[in-house]
Amino acid sequence: MAAKRVAQKAVDWAAFAERVPPNQKVQFNALKGKSDAIKAKFMMTPEKPPAIDWAFYKNKVPVAGLVDKFQKQFESFKVPYPTESVTPMIADQEKQMDKQASDFKVESDKRVAKYEQEIAKLNNMIPFEEMTKEEFVEYFPESVDYIKKYPYWPHKPIWEQKA
Amino acid sequence: MLSRLALANGVALRAVIHSTRPCVVVAPKSLLHTSQVRSMPVKLPEKGGQVKFGFIPEEWFTMMYKKTGVTGPYVFGFGLIMYLLSKEIYILGPETVHGAVVLAMIVYAAKKYGGTVADWADKQIADQLSNAEKSKIESLKAYEDAIKEEKLEQWRIDGRNNLFDAKRENVQLQLDTEYRERQLQVTNAVKARMDYYIAVEEMKRKKEQEHMVTWIEKNVVESITPQQEKEILNKCISDLQKMATTA
Repeated sequence: MAAKRVAQKAVDWAAFAERVPPNQKVQFNALKGKSDAIKAKFMMTPEKPPAIDWAFYKNKVPVAGLVDKFQKQFESFKVPYPTESVTPMIADQEKQMDKQASDFKVESDKRVAKYEQEIAKLNNMIPFEEMTKEEFVEYFPESVDYIKKYPYWPHKPIWEQKA
Repeated sequence: MLSRLALANGVALRAVIHSTRPCVVVAPKSLLHTSQVRSMPVKLPEKGGQVKFGFIPEEWFTMMYKKTGVTGPYVFGFGLIMYLLSKEIYILGPETVHGAVVLAMIVYAAKKYGGTVADWADKQIADQLSNAEKSKIESLKAYEDAIKEEKLEQWRIDGRNNLFDAKRENVQLQLDTEYRERQLQVTNAVKARMDYYIAVEEMKRKKEQEHMVTWIEKNVVESITPQQEKEILNKCISDLQKMATTA
């Protein structure tokens, strides 16, 4: 019963590692370490405890009926499976992260659209040989300050001129 | 750039002087335009103004070619100079020599160094253009890299389910480990109880045995009376003598 539950959804650590961004590698390694420790502990514990040899005990134990009583109780006793309250927390975290991811995706797509717009603008620009100063300022509005700063030839400070 | 400023101010001048440019030709009737009409694209001419004798523009010669043929401008020029000199409208003096020498120097300098200066100026323009191109290419690359980064981050965040699967697996493993440990505990406890009984029994039996042995020994030793002891000792001595003689 225990084994069936474990094979719920095996985590592919290699693929997981690929998707970790470099600034979170430390946390990923911590998580992997913990998971490995838990798995090792799980592997160490035997799946079924060694069976009790009732016949041997029936001969040896002097108290009459004790062995039979124990045997009956033992076989009818069901070890309670432990409960946990963490799963709903995990589900909450998952939902939160889903929302964060979708928000991020929206922002990211907006940024990508902006970049693609810029790329299209640059690609469809007229070549520099055919541009006038005003058109240049139109295409690159951030250059206005520089042009205003150096209006006269050679349009750059002395220390930037080639020897 | 200066040429552009000139263009801004002298559309009419362009029409007259640079009408032989190989690029976009401005028809002379732009002289009649009263507003700033500029033809685009604005390009630099491939060759500078052509001149004869170093300072007389070629356009004047071509203007007169239709009516007077090839020798027309030369005859006109020569005749004009002769007329001015002979009629003393223009009087020769030291300034003439001065002017001629200066003109000769200017023409010589232009012919000798004109090419170099033109090349230098062209190089400046080419540098500016190549810089602009380079920065444009760099920007393009930067934008494309940014787009790739964004897509990569999106793909990365799609792997978030791995984290939660790992967490759930950990929880599950911990539960199973606990269950197994509990089973083991139960078995061990039962075994321990039964082993206890067995151990108690063993200990009792051992104690009884020991006690019995010591008690029997004590009684046997006590039951040996002094009379019996002397008889036994005598018997032992006689046996020993017998053995000594026969050995």
